[in-house]
Amino acid sequence: MRDPVDQSVEAPEFPPELARLPPGRHGLPREFVAHNQRERLIAGLAEAVAENGYTGTTIAHITRHAAVSRRTFYEHFSSKDECFVAAYDSVMAELRKRVGEAFDQEDKWPQAIRAGIAAMLDFLSSEPHLARLSMVEALVAGPVVVERYDAAIQGLVPYFQAGREGRSEEVLAGLSPTTEEALVGGMVSLVSRRIFANRTEELEGLLPDLVEFTLTPYLGSTEAAKVARQS
Amino acid sequence: MSRGFIVSHQRARIIAALAQEASEKGFHAVTVADIVGRAGVGRNTFYENFGSKEECFLAAQEFAMSTALERVVDAAGELDDWSRRIEAGLAAFLRYVVEEPALARTCMVEALMAGPSSVRFYEESLQAFVSLFKLGRDVSPHGEDLPETLEEAVLGGVFWIVYQRLVMGDAETIEAMLPEIVEFALTPYLGAEDARRIAAERNGEVGSDGDQTDRG
Repeated sequence: MRDPVDQSVEAPEFPPELARLPPGRHGLPREFVAHNQRERLIAGLAEAVAENGYTGTTIAHITRHAAVSRRTFYEHFSSKDECFVAAYDSVMAELRKRVGEAFDQEDKWPQAIRAGIAAMLDFLSSEPHLARLSMVEALVAGPVVVERYDAAIQGLVPYFQAGREGRSEEVLAGLSPTTEEALVGGMVSLVSRRIFANRTEELEGLLPDLVEFTLTPYLGSTEAAKVARQS
Repeated sequence: MSRGFIVSHQRARIIAALAQEASEKGFHAVTVADIVGRAGVGRNTFYENFGSKEECFLAAQEFAMSTALERVVDAAGELDDWSRRIEAGLAAFLRYVVEEPALARTCMVEALMAGPSSVRFYEESLQAFVSLFKLGRDVSPHGEDLPETLEEAVLGGVFWIVYQRLVMGDAETIEAMLPEIVEFALTPYLGAEDARRIAAERNGEVGSDGDQTDRG
């Protein structure tokens, strides 16, 4: 399911914030180090949260995983919450990028939806810690993150709205103003329930179900099932 | 007045107070002092009923969910036709949300943020609805081919719509959305055309029991 075009582009395998610089002296420019420390703290938070949950995570856990001092932590973030928001934002930016790229590569809308969902499932199942951080822990991490979480989910609505284009009057009459919102909510609920239950290995298997579910209102169930079962 | 009556009344007051406080400032920011202040009971009374704020939250969640489910079962149980049952069940559920926005918010919004026990309970409650929806496979022309996860997805969608309205403080608008929610829920089973017809029919019906409002 890897994106074939990515090989020609210098795209990192992993979001830079979540990759780690080996600790120690390296003679790198100060600004680079500062930036890298921040990235290490974000990666450290993701690991600490995977181990202890958001509520159980302390700044000491984060700095231990990041291998930086407490003082360095406070040079970058004023609190655990702020560090979590930074981590959440970078995970979501990466997820958004992958979904957007996969979607854009297909000419036909049903196939684009399928590719976008596949990219999302691929990312979440290959990064179970980040999946948990963004879909489960985000909800307990306070109102700032919850607001971002809600916005991120609603941000998927336009991908589905694009499916209205060129549909017959009859199909359009069967869609309501909230159809896309409900589809997105249903999709996310299937995904996050499995992440919550630590069953990320099931995520990729959800692809045909999710494709059929989301395409049915636009294509009818027969056609939607056909796209869902394509390989 | 018996002591038993007072105790259960106090418990209900504490639960209602917690729901109010949580829907105003979010569960994590609520303190026991806030709850007892609003409920008009002493701190001791709180701790006679609940071991902690979390325990009180779970009790509120259980109370709200079981009340909502009871209403759904009452509304849907009498009907034979599956699509009418879904419609009546969803109508009863949405009405509960409108009547009790604070309790609805407790079990549908705050529950997701209140820790693993609450999320688990939320998931279990969802399963009760799943069984009602699953009956739709028997009346669907392609019931055997429907994806295994369909009910979870449909309910996830319905709950998300409600969640969004609760988060935005627009709970009262949710009842007017009944036809589109019904249509969304029925479409995968019956096809868009029949789903739309059924959702629209109810809308056009003249309510004889007074629980239908004109939604044009």
